[in-house]
Amino acid sequence: MQRLLPGIRYLLRAVQRKWRRSLQFRTVLTTLMLAIGSFAVVGAYLSNQIANNLFQERLAQAESETRYNVKQVQDTFDGAQVTDQSSVITLVYDTLNAVEGRGSVIQRRYVFEAMPEQTKPRNRWVESRASDQLTIGVIPPDLRKAVQNSGKDQYWASTQFPVGTEDRPGIAVGNKVTFNGTVYELYLIYDLNTAQKTLDEIQNVLLAGGAVLVLMIGGVAWYVTRNVVSPVSHAAVVSEKLAAGQLQERMVVKGEDEVARLGASFNHMAASLQEQITQLATLSQMQQRFVSDVSHELRTPLTTVRMAAEVLYDAREDFDPINKRSAELLYNQVERFQSLLADLLEISRFDAGAATLDAEPTDIVQLVAHVIEGVAPVAAEYGSAVTLNAPAGSVIVDMDDRRIDRILRNLILNALEHGEGRPVNISVAASDTAVAVAVRDHGIGMTPAEAARVFDRFWRADPARARTTGGSGLGLSIAAEDTKLHDGWLQAWGSKGHGSNFRLTLPLRRHEPITRSPLHLEPVNVGLPETGRQRTMVLLDPQRSAETPAATPGAGTPGAAARGTMADGFRGFSGDFSGDGGGAVGGATPDGGSAGPRETGMEGRA
Amino acid sequence: MKARILVVDDDEALAEMIGIVLRNDGFEPVFCADGGQALDVFRASKPDLVLLDLMLPGMDGIEVCRQVRAESDVPIVMLTAKADTSDVVRGLESGADDYVPKPFKPAELVARVRARLRPGDQKAPETLRIADVTIDVAGHLVSRGNDRISLTPLEFDLLVALARKPWQVFTRELLLEQVWGYRHAADTRLVNVHVQRLRSKIERDPEAPEVVLTVRGVGYKAGS
Repeated sequence: MQRLLPGIRYLLRAVQRKWRRSLQFRTVLTTLMLAIGSFAVVGAYLSNQIANNLFQERLAQAESETRYNVKQVQDTFDGAQVTDQSSVITLVYDTLNAVEGRGSVIQRRYVFEAMPEQTKPRNRWVESRASDQLTIGVIPPDLRKAVQNSGKDQYWASTQFPVGTEDRPGIAVGNKVTFNGTVYELYLIYDLNTAQKTLDEIQNVLLAGGAVLVLMIGGVAWYVTRNVVSPVSHAAVVSEKLAAGQLQERMVVKGEDEVARLGASFNHMAASLQEQITQLATLSQMQQRFVSDVSHELRTPLTTVRMAAEVLYDAREDFDPINKRSAELLYNQVERFQSLLADLLEISRFDAGAATLDAEPTDIVQLVAHVIEGVAPVAAEYGSAVTLNAPAGSVIVDMDDRRIDRILRNLILNALEHGEGRPVNISVAASDTAVAVAVRDHGIGMTPAEAARVFDRFWRADPARARTTGGSGLGLSIAAEDTKLHDGWLQAWGSKGHGSNFRLTLPLRRHEPITRSPLHLEPVNVGLPETGRQRTMVLLDPQRSAETPAATPGAGTPGAAARGTMADGFRGFSGDFSGDGGGAVGGATPDGGSAGPRETGMEGRA
Repeated sequence: MKARILVVDDDEALAEMIGIVLRNDGFEPVFCADGGQALDVFRASKPDLVLLDLMLPGMDGIEVCRQVRAESDVPIVMLTAKADTSDVVRGLESGADDYVPKPFKPAELVARVRARLRPGDQKAPETLRIADVTIDVAGHLVSRGNDRISLTPLEFDLLVALARKPWQVFTRELLLEQVWGYRHAADTRLVNVHVQRLRSKIERDPEAPEVVLTVRGVGYKAGS
């Protein structure tokens, strides 16, 4: 039993699972249950009816036979002329034996017993007599009572009596007979064995027939549901394949019934889906083609114009003032036209779905430093200090460095443009699954409503503002698209008068969704780099680089050591500070840090 | 002696402009406007460098590039109007050493041309080894055992750069600077494609490189 239990439990679970998952199994099982139930009811009713009929018939026969035999016995007793004991006994026994019937088969058995509680005449030689194996005990007491208390009425009752070793069902019918002034009870017992055997046989036939029918019904149910269910599960398989992109997948349609109609309309749906998807793909391809062609067609003449403009520009000193200015304008505007065209083409490539991600594991900290190095001249022009706060080690991210480079360059240039010469703080932080780069400026800032729109195409916070860097108005839109391609987040925070913060969050590994960014979007600690084992780079303008160590009075402090200049490249940014030094690193505090570089900018321009 | 440069471009204005710029910088330009004739002009003029437009009538620039590369190691610089990754990579894979995306500045073009024409530095007799590959720097020979491996000058320079400092991991930017002569950040795909091409020639199994190893997240280094 102990060993069997897990097996049963497993079986139960398997059935439960099958019940949940298979409509066919459920239908067949239900049908079987219902069929078995109804057969049990019908079978019970039938066998009950048959048993009843058989019994009633036998009973009627028994009663009439009893009536006849009792009369015979009484007549024989009444007409007897015997007086001596032995002839009386012989007469009674012979009479009674005659009741059993002739032939090899005993037709009825008898129990013959003198009624109790009566005065015993002298010539009463017979007390009781019964067929083989029988005693008065086989007669139910109720029957005896009924017979004893009645006049000359006949009563019956069901009983059981022994034959050989078995007990047989029977009907006992009793009455009284009188012999020589003594009243006897005479019970005749009729065997119901034949009837019982017939009944058993009928029941067996019913049972076998029922079982066969139930099995057949189960089979029919299985067949019918299979016919209905199998196209449905086929449809499920096919639609799975369709969803997986196998657009040519179709259902097999046979006949004209409902199932065939389902198949046909399914196929129709699949065909129109395929057509639309193909159409979309073709459209996208055409768009891609168009972009590519326009790109080529425009770029070739633009290259010529640009080269010509540059040749003229290089020779402008030889021109008269009007031609010289014209050459300068031409040169500058060709540049601007080119960057606009490049942005337009880039964005249309995104729209056409032609942009692909060329990702490989790259150190983002190094990339950020690289971008900062690249924007140094612009930072110097605006007079803004650029600080970097990054983890000491490297952070390897699966990314398309060309695109991330473009995003970061864009964010930093944007911060410089709107930073009003105040420091721009760049932070990098990584968690187990994501890395974030935040670019914080302390310039004019923007309202939350404006922050929500910065990634819109051609959107400008203040249309009247001069376009100092000549941006196309597409820079942040492209950045947003580039981010989307990486499954990353690009978000903006702004506060009027307190600057803004742009945060780029990327998953470390591709196809791993970001759950939270390692950096806050809304700056908690405005402008202060976090303390801890961090390295910090402060960017100064190149012209000042040579004088920086001398010009900074606190050259011996860790802060000053961290002040790498662009001329030093990365050497200045390898500092790995312990907690107490890191917090106070130059350029971070609003008064100390921002003042220095701004001053520098002024000097540079002077 | 003036270096001769074959300019294969169907746009006459651009070709003329390139000619002006090249002449201005002391080169001798030769022109061809049709891809189908490019190979004949190449054989006739024996240029020191080819400037090749990717989109050409007659024959695709990529096909021209492949044919030129099949018979010569002459440096090929592509002029591409397409900035799409696939086009650039396809061009580089067909044998081009470098590319200049349109629209370019004259100085940029000249810089690329000069970088490719850079005369092999004073090559002292020097033999380098990476893994089981032997490099004879002066003789411009690369061999594994007795088998010579034929490399283009660019691939050779790339291999030598790695082999000279086997202890150093080269970032793609550093290789761009040392091998291609870029001063500013440029497209690192150049490095990827050429490393792959180099590997396909010198590695026993390019899928499991032993000579040029990738350092994840950083760049490449020589095998030991």
